[in-house]
Amino acid sequence: MKVYHQTGFRDNWNRESYLNGIGDGLIFSPINIDADKLLGFDSILKVNSFLDPQLYLLNEAKGTLHTYPYFPGNLKPDFSTPDLDNSNLQIAQLCVDYQVANNFKYLVIPTRYNEDNPTSYFIQSTEFFVLPFCEYVRGNNINKKILLSVIVKPIMLSDEEKRNEALNWITSHQQVDGVYLIFENNFNSKQIKDFDYLLNTLRFISVLKENQMEVHIGYTNTEAILYSIAMPDSISIGSYENLRSFGIKRFQDIENSPMRAPNARLYSSKLFQWIDYQYITAMKSLLPSYEDFFDDSEFKPLMFKPEFKWHFAKPEPYKHYFYVFDNQIKSIPIEQICRIEKLKEDLRSAITLFKKIENVVFLDDNSNGSHLPTWLNVINAYQRELDN
Amino acid sequence: MVVIKRGAIKSFTSLERIKREVELLSELRSEYYPQQHHFNIDVKTKEFEIVESYIEGKTLRDSMAEFKEPKDIFRLLSSLTKGLAIIWDKNIVHRDLKPENIIIRPSGLPCIIDLGIARFIDLEALTKTISPIGPCTPIYAAPEQLNNNKNLIDPRTDFFGLGIISLELFLGVHPFDPNIVGNHYSIVENIMQNIYALETGSVKQNNSVTEFASKTLKTQPYQRFRNYQMLNDFISQQE
Repeated sequence: MKVYHQTGFRDNWNRESYLNGIGDGLIFSPINIDADKLLGFDSILKVNSFLDPQLYLLNEAKGTLHTYPYFPGNLKPDFSTPDLDNSNLQIAQLCVDYQVANNFKYLVIPTRYNEDNPTSYFIQSTEFFVLPFCEYVRGNNINKKILLSVIVKPIMLSDEEKRNEALNWITSHQQVDGVYLIFENNFNSKQIKDFDYLLNTLRFISVLKENQMEVHIGYTNTEAILYSIAMPDSISIGSYENLRSFGIKRFQDIENSPMRAPNARLYSSKLFQWIDYQYITAMKSLLPSYEDFFDDSEFKPLMFKPEFKWHFAKPEPYKHYFYVFDNQIKSIPIEQICRIEKLKEDLRSAITLFKKIENVVFLDDNSNGSHLPTWLNVINAYQRELDN
Repeated sequence: MVVIKRGAIKSFTSLERIKREVELLSELRSEYYPQQHHFNIDVKTKEFEIVESYIEGKTLRDSMAEFKEPKDIFRLLSSLTKGLAIIWDKNIVHRDLKPENIIIRPSGLPCIIDLGIARFIDLEALTKTISPIGPCTPIYAAPEQLNNNKNLIDPRTDFFGLGIISLELFLGVHPFDPNIVGNHYSIVENIMQNIYALETGSVKQNNSVTEFASKTLKTQPYQRFRNYQMLNDFISQQE
């Protein structure tokens, strides 16, 4: 299973890590990087990577999105949905041409974000994006794999009719090789603890794999390792939370919206958890071997020095995460059943470790591994379905 | 010698797409299809007219006894999918595959007729038809056709038809026939409820045929083979 860097703000951290051998490619983000600058990047950064076209809101010119030739606002000011009737071919051509010019590994078909996802959403997506995109690729004999980008809303997982509709649509495109899945996340907790949501996600991925599609999952946090048991082709790693959890706000040009600085956190592969640095400070006082709960990396010695000032803008915790999580993913067994058993074993170990920590250090719900029992239950339920 | 087919058009939705489809079909030059000399849609009279070459041979309905063995069934399926791939590649779905619409030429090669006609027929009227030999009969239709869910119609709809045909060849009877599944529903109701037989009192199950039917006769298209390459791969492994 591959690991892609979901890039965004401070994408240089991802690029630096990738050039140091961490991850298998990058997913580039147009709102964060100028189109010409991306064209100028060394091919080594792009040849195993792909573009997230980010036409989610069609005409919202967030960040540098307007520098991309296929951005609809460049074709017509105040571009709106009805304009797609006449412009879909042109957008498809410009979008394909830009991706081909960058020589990315995959060509990605854009998708739009829709609050309610009516049935017409899929019909329009086919007419305006999938068909013109595929026809242009085919007509020009472009020999690259095509990924369909899909935002999977929670209702597409929980409601059978919506799920069938989404799966029938995704699998209906004969020329598409795979899917770039983006699971919309409306949860308040930092880790996903919803049994039904997680189990349905595994089922969703499994169906696509049974259809022999490549499945690349973007915007994943640590639940990516749980998703690994459904055998996707790749998951993603990202620095800030908005790159590890998809929300449309990231693509809305909201001026003067309040910004909340997140607490710095450190990921531990032994705990399957990001731990708030304040608890790390407490652990340091109360647990003599506190460092053993965290993975070794080139960044660890610096972060564990007394003078290290924890701050969300510092690169070390994120680069540490890239390194640790990439290794964690790379160490999982190839065979599905072995993968499942190994993950169960590791999750049980993590729960035991949390018990040791919580004997002396109290943790809040976003640091205490409270998602782990649910993950174990999800794995057991999924395994039972596989056995049947 | 030519065959002239005329019929009423019940629906003009997506007329532009239909016209494109008709043009594509007229350009087809393949031994798997009769050559179309003329295909016209009269918007005023709401009628279509097709003039196509006459194909010598017997319908599959009249040749069923020659395709009872699994190896013969899969050989036929292999030829049919080769022919159908030509239209599937053009985003065209036959929509009305059944033994009456397949002519077995004297050489043994199948020829697929009535291509695209189902596009013009009102399925609501069809579902009321109970004759198994009428044009575009629903007893070979996939659930999405019976539900009139046009958005779901794609090549996997044709896969469902091939699933029924193959199982009918093997069993000698329609697999959704209430007399062999042992209920009092109609064939169409059994299709909707996905109740079918894999063997009869005189024909025992065959693993390859069962596997093919199980994969093609799923209610949801996403549960079937995703594309004809996957379908072909399976068939070629059985030949």
